[in-house]
Amino acid sequence: MNAFVWAALGLCLGYLPLLCVVARRRPIDGLVALELGGVLLVLVLLCLAEGFHRSFGYSVAIVAAVMSWIGGLVFARFLGRWV
Amino acid sequence: MTNWAVDVLLALAVFFALACVVGVVVMPTTYDRLHYAGAAATVPAFLVLAAVLCREHLSGGGLEAIAAVGLLFFLFPVLLTATARAIARVEDGA
Repeated sequence: MNAFVWAALGLCLGYLPLLCVVARRRPIDGLVALELGGVLLVLVLLCLAEGFHRSFGYSVAIVAAVMSWIGGLVFARFLGRWV
Repeated sequence: MTNWAVDVLLALAVFFALACVVGVVVMPTTYDRLHYAGAAATVPAFLVLAAVLCREHLSGGGLEAIAAVGLLFFLFPVLLTATARAIARVEDGA
């Protein structure tokens, strides 16, 4: 366990409060929590890629950044229209 | 020296990321929560990038880390703007 793996574990702790927000608050608040979860995911993947010396992990982080952005845009579009 | 810098950068990144999570949880309005969600794509992301670059320098992994954080930094404001518009429609009926 090096510093990057510990940092990834620390960042993962942030998902627990976000899950509470998604489950208990309004859908639009859940969308904000989901977007923050996407940012945390990218940071966790970067830390794990460096911590375990897996070069493909950086590519996964890039894909996660783009996909979380697209997903957030889709949710924002549909929540703004129908909720 | 490098290990010490990496430890400090990662500790700061985790601290600021968790501070953003706390902000999203405890802030009273959705716009306030959005502000904290946006902050997570700047300070913690660049601290993690700095820590990675301390180890990788400008190798392939370092360049891909720059790309990932750059995508976050430049794309996330668009998402925040779209979310703010959705919040306005939900709350104000605009």
